Amino acid sequence: MDLARLRNFCIIAHIDHGKSTLADRLLDLTHAVSERQMRDQYLDKMELERERGITIKANAVRLAYQAGDGLDYVLNLIDTPGHVDFTYEVSRALAACEGAVLLVDAVQGIEAQTLANLYLALEADLAIIPVINKIDLPAAQPERVAREISQVLGVATSEMLPVSAKTGQGVPELLEAIVQRVPPPKGDLDAPARALVFDSLYDSYRGVITYVRMVDGRLARRERVLMMVAGGTSEAEEVGVFAPEAVTTDELAAGEVGYLIPGVKDVRQAKVGDTVTGAARPAAEPLPGYREPRPMVYSGLYPIEGDDFPDLRDALDRLRLNDAALVYEPETSAALGFGFRCGFLGLLHMDIVRERLEREFDLALITTAPNVAYRVTMVTGETIMVSNPSELPDQNLIDRIEEPFVAGMVLCPADYIGAVMELCQGRRGVLDTMEYLSEERVELRYQLPLAEIIFDFFDQLKSRTRGYASLDYEPSGYREASLVKVDVLLQGEPVDAFSAIVHKDKAYAYGRAMVSRLRRLIPRQLYEVAIQAAIGSRVIARETISPRRKDVLAKCYGGDVTRKRKLLERQKEGKRRMKQIGRVEVPQEAFVAALRTDDSETR
Amino acid sequence: MTAVAPSRPGLAMEATGLFGVYAHVPFCLSRCHYCDFVTYTGMEGLRRPYAAALLAEAELAVAATGPEPSTVTSVFIGGGTPTLLPAGDLGRLLERLRELLPFAPDVEVTVEANPETVDQAVADGLVEAGVTRVSLGAQSFDEGVLAALGRTHGPARVGQAVAALRRAGVEALNLDLIFGCPSEDDASWADSLAAAVALGPDHLSAYALTIEAATRFGRMVADGRMAEPDEDLLADRYETACAVLAASGWRHYEVSNWARDPVLAGAPHRRGALPSRASRHNLTYWRRGPYLGLGAGAHEFTGGVRRWNGPGVPAYLAALAAGRRPTAGEERLDGEQAAFELLALRLRTADGLDQAEAERLGIDPTGAPVAELRRAGLLAPGPGVALTERGMFLHGEVVARLAA
Repeated sequence: MDLARLRNFCIIAHIDHGKSTLADRLLDLTHAVSERQMRDQYLDKMELERERGITIKANAVRLAYQAGDGLDYVLNLIDTPGHVDFTYEVSRALAACEGAVLLVDAVQGIEAQTLANLYLALEADLAIIPVINKIDLPAAQPERVAREISQVLGVATSEMLPVSAKTGQGVPELLEAIVQRVPPPKGDLDAPARALVFDSLYDSYRGVITYVRMVDGRLARRERVLMMVAGGTSEAEEVGVFAPEAVTTDELAAGEVGYLIPGVKDVRQAKVGDTVTGAARPAAEPLPGYREPRPMVYSGLYPIEGDDFPDLRDALDRLRLNDAALVYEPETSAALGFGFRCGFLGLLHMDIVRERLEREFDLALITTAPNVAYRVTMVTGETIMVSNPSELPDQNLIDRIEEPFVAGMVLCPADYIGAVMELCQGRRGVLDTMEYLSEERVELRYQLPLAEIIFDFFDQLKSRTRGYASLDYEPSGYREASLVKVDVLLQGEPVDAFSAIVHKDKAYAYGRAMVSRLRRLIPRQLYEVAIQAAIGSRVIARETISPRRKDVLAKCYGGDVTRKRKLLERQKEGKRRMKQIGRVEVPQEAFVAALRTDDSETR
Repeated sequence: MTAVAPSRPGLAMEATGLFGVYAHVPFCLSRCHYCDFVTYTGMEGLRRPYAAALLAEAELAVAATGPEPSTVTSVFIGGGTPTLLPAGDLGRLLERLRELLPFAPDVEVTVEANPETVDQAVADGLVEAGVTRVSLGAQSFDEGVLAALGRTHGPARVGQAVAALRRAGVEALNLDLIFGCPSEDDASWADSLAAAVALGPDHLSAYALTIEAATRFGRMVADGRMAEPDEDLLADRYETACAVLAASGWRHYEVSNWARDPVLAGAPHRRGALPSRASRHNLTYWRRGPYLGLGAGAHEFTGGVRRWNGPGVPAYLAALAAGRRPTAGEERLDGEQAAFELLALRLRTADGLDQAEAERLGIDPTGAPVAELRRAGLLAPGPGVALTERGMFLHGEVVARLAA
């Protein structure tokens, strides 16, 4: 392979800005997929992704293209995830490229995630091809969007390509621009092999499949390979490229993008960011930029049916094979029984895991409210991490609590600056900078507690800006804060599943909301039931459920005992599904509903 | 009539010594707003053929029970409004049943009637036909409440019907009442209770209004035009009934039923003893005793099998014209279901279960669940398991707890 005829590029775009449709058009024009195989959004593999219309896992496709100069080129399109939870994966995919297509919707304009990924691409020194998509739409404002891009990138609007991925207009010109503007890869074919793993997935037949960019040297089929970070050696069962279906090759050489099946069974043995080298002549140093996956959000997962615990464990073990970022350990809740405390990259990652557990493994789950991990320094000087609020030690033993912060970036129309600032300040945010991208659009940068972001911040942002604002953030360290643990008690017994760590100024509102919500969800009992919210021994909110007084079926008409018995049998079954908290019976549905977070009333 | 002391029932349904016959008359002048029973307005032309078909079904039903039928201890002709049939038709049905089955000498023969259908001629006709007990659908003595329920009679009509029935010599009278109705308040409910007691019936039934989907009330609740009766309000009215009736010497012997006991009147109340004027036919249901079910939508329980007829009148007539019963369904209960059913039914009456019966149903009268229900005041103290008055209104909760 002549490196001069090779181009490695990716597409940076916001969700719904047309990335998958553009990829489909590129496949069309380069005849990579036969008509029969063609289906919409070819690159999105999993059922879940097709339904959500988002790309979770990076993917790569090799396109054969004859350019206007009459020469044949190989274009490797590396797909990137489009969500803040997967920023690290994006950075590795970008590191595998020399160029990026910046795809911006001509109606929506540039969005925060796009901007964040664009900054990553600029840091990685990628050639950027700005493309304005959806120019066929009546509401398209390509001139305004071009001005925004120009402001951000400092390039002339004449360098931007107008396209419609839907109709194909402008796509041939884009292919030409990729050949002309993206530099060919550099790499030393004779150096010891180094391949960057930019994605890794588990296939039940083949084991782990890594997506790699060869940086130096060559790796051949049947060669013994070494994962430089994970440390394991194995035989490369197969190497190849995606065109777009997998095609086996004898070797992958510097500059090329393809796949390598290292013959391992767990994605932890070949994580994103790892470097593959030849075991016989290993490279001296791995490629830079490796980072361990870092859970940001934690939640308890419990089977609704206690008997399903072993099934949940098996399902998590299976998912883990394919998801190096998923961490979990067993925990026991007095209220919910046996389950797992799980760590996720973010809320989307959490939702994906939960949905896959429910859909692919047919499990019914209770998920506790998501929380962050707190760094707690004890009066003894010892420091512990607390990822389950009910495990926060007694206040008297704590010297200070620190919580994770993020550097948040919000892009919004100038009209909504006030609404966004009000929201961010309400969430304990501190303004860093404010910059106009154009007369109409503003970039606001805030330091925000992550705990505030994971509690419906995004929904609030969208609803207060009528959907026009977008958000991106990255971790920015730990900061001390006045945090307290609010417990919820039923008849004086704390219900661990409802404990939360909140800022002291918000503790009262949180406690109030939880007890009134539970009052509506817990049915009347034999006795009066007190629902309290408390900080330590101090009760901050209370509701009372008065005792049940009527529960009897009317007369048995014409001797119809059958109907009555069936109703009573149902009631008896309902009793069996109750969780007993002390003397209080709490229906499973009450836990599910009380722990829902898509409802702003609890904050 | 001598008081019948029901034999101690066990798990086997034959051990009750009770055997009832239920016949359903599915005709009404108008549809009440709360009622989801099998009943039809109009159909005047089908009423006589229906009465004739009941005779035919009685024959088929008796033939199916085997060569040596049990002795009938009660007959209950319910509705609908049975008194929309001529008294002669009811008489012929009872006559046919007596030909087909042995009747106990003190057999209880009840007919349900709406007050507006009972004049002196009807009352005389019922007694002549062999009816010993009439159950009148009074429901309320408040003009506004009766109108809200969709009843067509006024409060005074009940007294007139009672007087006619007494003149005719009916042995026992029941009045049905409903509480928790729209436009009812604390005072009107107390007044209705007092008015019912003042008419001197032998038996009173007081039902909490239940909203059924397939009724006018059900549709109003679904549309948001009416609120479901409030739990606390129903409980308050129930407690009023318990207090008012106890003060007048009535015995509360089942969740919704009170009876007088002339024999025991003045004697100290003995827990668990059922009053002599208790409805023997309904006791057959609560004791899980056997009964035949005749007519559209009627339910039957014989030989351990529950079966029921379909609800349609034309289909009922067609089936019997073809020589068969219009069976719509039947079920055979397994041991666990039968035990659960017996527990649920037996706890409805004040006598409950004695220690041995409870243990046979897997309930330890000294165990923790029973102890907790006693502490909560829902089960009475004593060696057996029986509901208190408060417990009766929480019957479902108690049964679910004991069986869970």
